[in-house]
Amino acid sequence: MLNNKQLFLYVLLFLTFIKASGQNEESTLPERSKKYSFILYLSGGFGYFPSNSEAPAYLKPQLSRTNPVTTARIMWKPDHRLKAGFESGYMTFYSYELTDADGKKGKVSFDAIPLLLEFSVSVKKHFNLFAGPGFYILKTNLNYVGKTESSKVNPGWMAAAAYTKPITKEISLGAEAKWLYAAETKRGSFGLQLQLTWHFFRW
Amino acid sequence: MIKHFLLTISLLLLLSCTKHYNAPVPNLKWDLFNSGSASPLANYTRDKMEGVYSISDGADAFGSSAALKWSYTANGKDTTYHLSMYCERQVVYIICEGRKSDSSILLNGYWRNLTNTETGVARFTISTTSGAKTLLDSSNRTTTSASVTIAGTFGDGDSNPDRPVRLQYNRPLYSATSLDIVAHRGGGRTSDLLPASENSVEIIKMASRFGATGIEIDVRFTSDGVPVLFHDESLNERLIQKNGMIGPIENYSYAQLNGLVRLINGEKIPTLREALDAVVYSTPLRYVWLDTKFKGSMQKERDIQVEYLQKAKAIGRNLNITIGIPDEQVLNNFVQLPNYAEIPSVCELTLADVLKTQAKIWAPRWTLGLQNDEVANTHAAGRKAFVWTLDVPENIQIYFNQGKFDGILSNYPSSVAFYYYAKQ
Repeated sequence: MLNNKQLFLYVLLFLTFIKASGQNEESTLPERSKKYSFILYLSGGFGYFPSNSEAPAYLKPQLSRTNPVTTARIMWKPDHRLKAGFESGYMTFYSYELTDADGKKGKVSFDAIPLLLEFSVSVKKHFNLFAGPGFYILKTNLNYVGKTESSKVNPGWMAAAAYTKPITKEISLGAEAKWLYAAETKRGSFGLQLQLTWHFFRW
Repeated sequence: MIKHFLLTISLLLLLSCTKHYNAPVPNLKWDLFNSGSASPLANYTRDKMEGVYSISDGADAFGSSAALKWSYTANGKDTTYHLSMYCERQVVYIICEGRKSDSSILLNGYWRNLTNTETGVARFTISTTSGAKTLLDSSNRTTTSASVTIAGTFGDGDSNPDRPVRLQYNRPLYSATSLDIVAHRGGGRTSDLLPASENSVEIIKMASRFGATGIEIDVRFTSDGVPVLFHDESLNERLIQKNGMIGPIENYSYAQLNGLVRLINGEKIPTLREALDAVVYSTPLRYVWLDTKFKGSMQKERDIQVEYLQKAKAIGRNLNITIGIPDEQVLNNFVQLPNYAEIPSVCELTLADVLKTQAKIWAPRWTLGLQNDEVANTHAAGRKAFVWTLDVPENIQIYFNQGKFDGILSNYPSSVAFYYYAKQ
């Protein structure tokens, strides 16, 4: 689990990274738009959970580590390099089918709704980095001797890199690689998504 | 650019690693002790071995003295006896089993320092000329010879013990006044890397070995109304093996918890009945504090309290079970019970609340101070006073020497036991 010191270090690293990338690209980027805009990012794909320690051996689990991840993000693009916004969605970290000591079958699905504050910076043309802290509403969906749903709020963060190619003046298509991390999971989920971006409001 | 990115990712991965600590009970295989020629010790031998001993060799690891006391764990008709050595050094204990081999006494066990992960094998011998003759003498069933010397070795982990330790009998255990030594969470916390998980049947059976005369256990209800033991509000990796189940324990049925959840050391979450069964039929514990962690009707908890007080009485056990009143909401639920003033309870709130509930025990937190006048008033009203949760050995010593409490709740009952039994 992340402690405050680690979290502080991550934020510091990210800010250093932004600063460094800004210095590298300042002279090569085209003239920036002076306009403000809101950008909507719609992403869908799969996440990979890189651990099997969440499904204990005594339940003879059949673990599914690759699961769907759908997210939506709104970013405010000001007249400078750093964008800020919010991301949410629905994802499954992992799920598994189980068999108890008496041979009874069941299924556990460990899902989440991320609620993340995000910052973004463009480091190359069409290439953006995203990161931010927030919370995950973690949900257990259990189907074993009856159905049970249970949830808790857990701190976490995300980091992502996206490449999108404009297909119209307002809409771009691309892909995003992201790491969605909730402290409870210890590992997080590495995801790969197709992404549609839409500059839906400019002023 | 790419370098920065890779560096960031590498540092994130590196710093995300978590160190896992453990302190497993070492391998206690000792051929001489396990040989067919070794036989169980008689009750009178065990009784005569109890006392306060001074430590010469090994004082750097265990302190200058230790209080030695036997306890038992019954499993049906089989009973296992353990000799616990509560050491002066903070918070170190040794737990052994004993056998007679020819005319000597063998003690085989392990030592543990609860302030870290240090543990290891400990083996002792009491030779004929060092007191075994007196201890094994069936014609002398009460007198312990001052010449009893326990000599042995201890080591680290599973390694062969090679460091000497020597204990010399000094005086009998203190018993002039009574003290309830109450182990937190059934015997101790999971985070202290004990051999069993907190609030499990297994840790309850070990509590006496750690020095406890009583236990505090945490009672919650499952979604289908079964009282179980669990400290935290939610299932979490501090207490259970990760399995994807999160959120309040009250969200899950007993069948789901029983079938799918295992505590950190592999035990099932016990029902309150299973826990009290263990207390009544397997341990010498004389007190149980039911820490009420649920909201709502307390009738079921009360019914189980009555049931087990009767079961203990039926087999001649002097057992006291009290219902905990930790906050105002529980207090309001408690006074809804019929004849609540007659129900044995322990109230953590003010003295006015103790009067309101007619609690048999007042239990303030230790940070409120010694409160000697209030404790004296409590005694004058025919009630007992316990203090919780005392863990720092220096504080235990202060409360023990300057306070007037009848009981101390601690995560480290072995430290309380040392100060109590070694008192002169």
